Amino acid sequence: MRVLGLETTCDETAAAVVSLSDDGRGHIRSDEILSQIAEHAAYGGVVPEIAARAHVEVIDRLVERAMDNAGLALSELDGIAAAAGPGLIGGVIVGLTTAKALALVTGKPLIAVNHLEAHALTARLTDGIAFPYLLLLASGGHTQLVAVRGVGDYVRLGATIDDAIGEAFDKVAKLLGLPYPGGPEVEREALKGDPERFALPRPLLGRPAPDFSLSGLKTALRIEAERIAPLSERDVSDLCAGFQAAVVDTVVDRTRVALRAFRETAGHPTALVAAGGVAANQTLRRALERLARESGLRLVAPPLRLCGDNGAMIAWAGIERLRLGLVDDLSAPARARWPLEETGPRP
Amino acid sequence: MRVLAIDTALNACAAGVLDAGAGQVLAEESLTLERGHAEELLPLIERVISRIDGRFSGIDRVAVTIGPGSYTGLRVGIAAARAIGLAAGAPVVGVSTLSGLLAPLVATGERRIAAAAIDARHGGVYLQAVAPGGRTVVAASHLSLRDAVRFLGSGPVVITGSGAAVIAAEAIEAGVSVDLSLAEVTPHVAWIARLGAIADPAHALPKPLYLKGPDAKPQAHARVARR
Repeated sequence: MRVLGLETTCDETAAAVVSLSDDGRGHIRSDEILSQIAEHAAYGGVVPEIAARAHVEVIDRLVERAMDNAGLALSELDGIAAAAGPGLIGGVIVGLTTAKALALVTGKPLIAVNHLEAHALTARLTDGIAFPYLLLLASGGHTQLVAVRGVGDYVRLGATIDDAIGEAFDKVAKLLGLPYPGGPEVEREALKGDPERFALPRPLLGRPAPDFSLSGLKTALRIEAERIAPLSERDVSDLCAGFQAAVVDTVVDRTRVALRAFRETAGHPTALVAAGGVAANQTLRRALERLARESGLRLVAPPLRLCGDNGAMIAWAGIERLRLGLVDDLSAPARARWPLEETGPRP
Repeated sequence: MRVLAIDTALNACAAGVLDAGAGQVLAEESLTLERGHAEELLPLIERVISRIDGRFSGIDRVAVTIGPGSYTGLRVGIAAARAIGLAAGAPVVGVSTLSGLLAPLVATGERRIAAAAIDARHGGVYLQAVAPGGRTVVAASHLSLRDAVRFLGSGPVVITGSGAAVIAAEAIEAGVSVDLSLAEVTPHVAWIARLGAIADPAHALPKPLYLKGPDAKPQAHARVARR
């Protein structure tokens, strides 16, 4: 089984082909990603209209390249998948419409994939793990802890009540005058800094529900920064280190609480899975590694290239759904909001 | 040559197949639609194609409206057209909505200046105008109402498009004779196909014609001062 996957929900245009071998493992046959970082850098964040304009200029060329690199013709595919949301609607429409048109002309089934579900299932592509598992999904747009019980069977245990973690990293970078995208920049600065110089809060630490809140931490950081401004390089590094340490402590605590909730409702997880762009943060990975070990679990975090948005995860989610017969018709809607819980088989 | 034409740039969701040699529209369908083009378009194209022979292999060229119009709408049509072209191995050409609106006026040998105006909101219009014989009077541009009327000159003018009425009101006030009786809100998909059939694929690229920037400003105000 071979599926083409398209991803256009934010600022990466991506197309990839993934195949499924007889032993049930997935293989990435091609994986094209075109980042729009340069287009958005001046704005310090993703501008939806600029993103949509960029997607429509390049998506067909990326599809062509993904097919060439996979050594396949469109007619040799078994399905065509696209992220149908959640995300920036202008971009989602471009990717989904492209997939629909390819499906119509080739006569192949369309799979309208939930972007979050694709992140959630990536660990099965990379490591072939079995259900159920606990997923920490943390990116620039999403932060949630999810019990992944099966394809289309997700229970959200907790989520952020304000900013996503990646969004908070980006806002901190902007505040401190670091380039966009801020996540890797803050991480780099934090390496040089003293995480204990500033006493920053750990919001919701110890609360019984595994939710997140980032806005208070962000405000505390701003107050500290304004108090000592103008900032030296040392100050910036220390602020970044303090911020990252606070986020890591919070994530570990919230994930520990979610593990407890998981065991009460969904039994024993096969693994702790981290996904999304924030899972690329090495300090966070090490902390999650420790948590997994002390919980008797394995941490599965995708390679860096598959942490951010990519087409391979969409193609893989397409395979997972297609082999269960979960396909969509040409009127499938593009959705700005689409909770993971609403990805089950449609009646 | 069989041309599949697609238009979702304004408030229609339309597709049609033209046999350009015979000058005959083989199948077409048009829905009036303010939103939801992304959901309606592909099922509509499927119905249109099923009315000819159900296959895309007979399509020699795809023509699509590239704007000006609704940003989201024109991207739906362009994404679909480019993907159909890729999968069917057919070249894809872009046709502007303004040219599509003007074409029937020019084709009848109109003796007055012919103008197409699309409402761009916030007191602006997208405007294109040609003199008899096809000489450009106003190249496709985004203009204020006042400039639009000024550029049209002393008339007489025959005008079409969703912005026709507002321009006419302004022009009549300025003493210009304006004929609104032929005004259409959206181009007819058969005209998109005809213009697509004669377009040069090397130049009529299927790229959006927004005529306006993305309306975003760099932000630096949130930054804390650094030494």
